[in-house]
Amino acid sequence: MSRLTLGHGSGGRLTQQLVHRIAGCFPLSGHDMEDCAIAPDGSGATMDGFTVTPRFFSGGNLGKLAVCGAANDLAVRGIRPEQLLLSVIAEEGFDEEELLEHFRSAGAVCGALEMRLVGGDTKVVPRGAVDGLFLSACALGREEPRREEQLGAARLQPGDTLLLTGPAGRHGATIAAARYELNVPGLASDCAALWPLLAPLLSLPGLRAMRDCTRGGVGTVLCEWAESRHLGISVEERTFPADPGVVSVADLLGLDPLYLACEGTAVVAVAPGDAAEALRLLRSHPLGTEAAAIGIVTENHPNLVSLTTHIGGRRLVDMPVGELLPRIC
Amino acid sequence: MPERTVPFFGGLVSRPTTLMEVCGTHTVSIFRNGIRSLLPKELTLLSGPGCPVCVTDQSEIDAALSLASLSGVTVTTFGDLLRVPGRDGSLLDARGRGADVRIVTSASQALETALREPEQQVVFLAPGFETTAPSTAAVVLEAAEKKATNFSVLSLHKLVPPVLRVLAADPELAVDGLLLPGHVSVILGEAPYSFLPERYGIACVIAGFEAEEILFGLTELLRQIHTNRPTVRSLYGKAVRPGGNVRARELMERVFLPVDAPWRGLGVIPSSGLALRKEFRPWDATQRFPLPTIPAQEETGCRCGDILTGKLTPPECPLFDNPCTPASPVGPCMVSSEGSCAAHYRYALRGTP
Repeated sequence: MSRLTLGHGSGGRLTQQLVHRIAGCFPLSGHDMEDCAIAPDGSGATMDGFTVTPRFFSGGNLGKLAVCGAANDLAVRGIRPEQLLLSVIAEEGFDEEELLEHFRSAGAVCGALEMRLVGGDTKVVPRGAVDGLFLSACALGREEPRREEQLGAARLQPGDTLLLTGPAGRHGATIAAARYELNVPGLASDCAALWPLLAPLLSLPGLRAMRDCTRGGVGTVLCEWAESRHLGISVEERTFPADPGVVSVADLLGLDPLYLACEGTAVVAVAPGDAAEALRLLRSHPLGTEAAAIGIVTENHPNLVSLTTHIGGRRLVDMPVGELLPRIC
Repeated sequence: MPERTVPFFGGLVSRPTTLMEVCGTHTVSIFRNGIRSLLPKELTLLSGPGCPVCVTDQSEIDAALSLASLSGVTVTTFGDLLRVPGRDGSLLDARGRGADVRIVTSASQALETALREPEQQVVFLAPGFETTAPSTAAVVLEAAEKKATNFSVLSLHKLVPPVLRVLAADPELAVDGLLLPGHVSVILGEAPYSFLPERYGIACVIAGFEAEEILFGLTELLRQIHTNRPTVRSLYGKAVRPGGNVRARELMERVFLPVDAPWRGLGVIPSSGLALRKEFRPWDATQRFPLPTIPAQEETGCRCGDILTGKLTPPECPLFDNPCTPASPVGPCMVSSEGSCAAHYRYALRGTP
């Protein structure tokens, strides 16, 4: 008898295997199974469930996280997020003022994106049936501009340049710091809507694929890309933008920033000819000032992600397995 | 940022040489920085017994599990101890079945939990070497001072020099040099290691954990071996004083007494563990709660003992990757992020691309 563990929900290898088993229950399912579905007419839809402890953290809260997360899944496929459906499952006894605070934060993000709330569902369940508040957000939008070939991992080519829009792991490190009661001045979640940052890239003909690096972090996205296209990926550690707060939390808890979640940071793959312009566009937006080229797609070492370290050593970046647990000393 | 330079080991390695890093934090840093990819092929780097989770014995996990099964008891400990399998699953499994098991990042957080929730009996499972034992000692003293009657400690603490003595005396193990643990040495200083070069001719370097510090440490080990002048040298001057941290050792000695202790895969090693002294019995979980007598170990086929002493590399264990993986570990070396099996799995399972 097999039971689910928290590792099945942590975004790495176990999650991937579970998703395949779930998809196997359906006679018809999408062949690429990305986070977002795009219909032939260019309309896109995505949905995502949100639960986080604590619900308020430096840089955001559950409400903001829900809207940003759903909107970002569309934005990285080149779809402007336009409409939102929200499903609320709240625990009996939950503070209504807190509930509204989450939605005010969500509303502020929607306002900035000109995204309209068009529907949803609200349930209150007996005490203990959920931990406080769970949100599910469904975002709808339209490809802008319409393209014949959808953005996505399927477009990756050897030689493509990989860009990272900001330091890895800020959301994960912020949550870990809060959970383990570490006070890290200056550390905040990167929780943000990516559409305004990424939209200018959409006119570049060499734009191949973009992914927001949520659960599982940058490392997992790179592994998924390499495996899905049977290509290799090589990245250089010293080119990665780094956040000192993330580095100290990761060092203290024995976690690898590459696998810590981001909620407003994306990896972008672009043809080499468009890389410089893409980087310029990213850096000209406040969310992308630290954007950097971190590596390339290559025909060498298919399916594997190679990292050249600060001191010139090389090692594998593999998908994380199981829940990330802090170490002893 | 300027390009960093890579040292040239070639001139120092004239014959096959085996070095061992004792500490799990070194193991992870070595993998994470790709240091193995920079070493000449004559140089073999083994991982030693310095991951506290890995050396925690199954009987100790079983004791923790039986504590967790008592109603009204909250078990607190460090995150990576939660997945170590005992006879009947892990603490994580116990939590899944409803036991109150919580992750803390320090001993004092465990005591705070007890003070905050006076109706619960809060037990702190205290694993770790000389690095963490002083803070456990400080918390026991604080609990005694505050008369916290709902707090107790299950000491799983272990000492590094005794296990190095076992390693050094093992005729099957031919280690030319040891990269000694930085954090542990902050407490111990250099003296407790002097028997290694003096009696066994083993080169010893205390090093920090950054890539450059490890490379520097390896280079110094090779230099000692090359010139045939083994000694204990600290290159971790920013943190290690030759005499160590006297106050921390006094704290340990005040609260704990060295006792024989079981090490996973290595058996009982004399005077290698720490038990609470008699006067601190009220805060000793083994005194406060009925603990089962330790049943015979179940045979898992796990070769932890050989892995921890560097006799086997992780991929040579018959269980490595099938069925033992970080997701369903058979042995603790696969559990802790600092265990050599987990580090191999995470950073080198599919080679170095």
